[in-house]
Amino acid sequence: MTQHSLAADRRGSWLPTLPLIGAKVLELRKRRTPMIVLVAFTVVLPVLYYGVRLLLHLSNPSQYEAAGATDAFATAGTLMDEFGFIIAVTLGATAGTSDLTDGMFRHLVITGRSRLALYLARIPAGLAILCSMAAVGFAVTCLVTAFAHNPTPAGAVVPSPGDMTDVGLWLELDLIIGFTVGLGLGSLMGQRTVPIILLILLEIPITPILADHKLPGFINGERLVVGIAMDQLKPAVLSGGTTVGPGGGGPRSLHLPLMPGWFLAAVIGGWIIGWSVLGAWKMCTRDT
Amino acid sequence: MTTISDHSERPEPRTREPGSRTGDWAVEVHGLTKRFGTRAAVDNVDLLIPRGSAFGYLGPNGAGKTTLIRTLLGLTKADSGSMSLLGVPVPAQRGKALAQVGAIVDEPRFHSHLTGRENLKVLAAARGAGAGKQIGPALDRTRMTQRADDKVSSYSMGMRQRLGLAACLLADPQLLILDEPMNGLDPAGIHEMRDMIRSLTDEGRTVMLSSHLLDEVERTCDQVAIVDHGMVIRQGSIEELTGGAGVVLEVNCSDPPAAARALQNPAIASKITVTEDGLTVNLAAGSAREHTAEINRRLVGAGIGVYSIRPAHATLEDWFLSVTSRLGEEQ
Repeated sequence: MTQHSLAADRRGSWLPTLPLIGAKVLELRKRRTPMIVLVAFTVVLPVLYYGVRLLLHLSNPSQYEAAGATDAFATAGTLMDEFGFIIAVTLGATAGTSDLTDGMFRHLVITGRSRLALYLARIPAGLAILCSMAAVGFAVTCLVTAFAHNPTPAGAVVPSPGDMTDVGLWLELDLIIGFTVGLGLGSLMGQRTVPIILLILLEIPITPILADHKLPGFINGERLVVGIAMDQLKPAVLSGGTTVGPGGGGPRSLHLPLMPGWFLAAVIGGWIIGWSVLGAWKMCTRDT
Repeated sequence: MTTISDHSERPEPRTREPGSRTGDWAVEVHGLTKRFGTRAAVDNVDLLIPRGSAFGYLGPNGAGKTTLIRTLLGLTKADSGSMSLLGVPVPAQRGKALAQVGAIVDEPRFHSHLTGRENLKVLAAARGAGAGKQIGPALDRTRMTQRADDKVSSYSMGMRQRLGLAACLLADPQLLILDEPMNGLDPAGIHEMRDMIRSLTDEGRTVMLSSHLLDEVERTCDQVAIVDHGMVIRQGSIEELTGGAGVVLEVNCSDPPAAARALQNPAIASKITVTEDGLTVNLAAGSAREHTAEINRRLVGAGIGVYSIRPAHATLEDWFLSVTSRLGEEQ
């Protein structure tokens, strides 16, 4: 190596380089199973859902509402929320553990590249894949909602472009949380399956239970659960028009005191940053 | 005949051409200790590897070879001691040191869902500094070009070893650390790997090769350190070490039993074995020249016809078994 290239070498920097991020994108997008599942639940699922709704409406318009109706938009959004979070967790945990389980982590550390940079490169790489796929699926949802609805009857609510933007941003935030928490927990534990199971348990049974039932002596600790914070940020159009929290508020969080915006931001930021810090710490100190 | 040099004697680094750094070492380790619980996997190791040498780090399985390499490369932390690679202290300046180091640790494993070339792209991206341009030449040199676009999951162990070596070459390394590189290779693959290591040292690069295969180290390396139970027992050139095992003479004579009796009174050898057409006489290190003449005198004096006296080749394996505790365990 020449003196010039040594001087230009920034491998000690904690900032990931574009080639490093690109390499992680390559590694992730070539994983067949996670990519099939990702495309299935972010793109194929809304396409199928709206395909069925369109066919049903065409076959019997009086019984079935148009595919672009508000309830269809809310259902599609809810599906993308629930499945999207699980997919994001799965992809995050995969990104956090694949180098380790495949035996590539040693090769990467031996390059002299900062371990923190190796960790941080996974975040934009994973999110680039995840968010772009989710955006395609959500674009399908928005197109159907915009162009496949009946002439609006009096009093009927049709999602506005602003509603769609809110839902889109909220869904992407949900994916970012799922991915970074999955990545951090996966990196911390050094394996993929347990973090995925734990986070699915958190998302599906635990968060709704905490949201629906006040636990004695829990001093409203439910407010620190990210799913409940996200519920209060949920756009009203996904909650049947109920307006409770800053984003509209989901019915799940009705028993809880209304949380201010700064508190919601702190809870969500805490989950993203906290798990990222733990994952990065483990990656930087792990024996391999 | 030279004597065994123990680890306290430092081998001289090779003389370099004008302008290059002289007097420094490719690997310099002092007092390195790495413990797992109460067990010391690396125990107060001092190691000096001259630049430009092919250096064998030889020991039985579980002797602590891989742990030392992992510690050198920053894959695990040392409990005490100091290290430097190519004159750069590690782990303090690990990134700078590893910029010129390529290494295979344990069995080379890669993303099996990617092709060989894609795996090298991933590693080149981590290396930076133009490593991407080295992918083609590295694949060519390791004769992997034809299979570079196949998935690694379809590779044999030997091909993975070669891909591992190609990954090392991305750094255009001055130092290669290869942990058991012959593992899983067929005889042709071993021959290729041996040639590759020789060609790398011919270019002035340093190769540190850990192995439990004595024969391979003897064929490939010119310097060696013997390690057992985490400690470096001896370090020096192969010639020095095998010489230290003592000398075995093969005596071809007319009456082997009578010859054995003649040499036993007074005893001149540490061990005498009667064979079909002569004797095998084990002499202590450093005594061969005088004792060979004395053996000849005694046999002729006893009226025994001496047809030939010649030294048998002492192998590194003989010496290795004589100094490591494994011999005692096996017995």
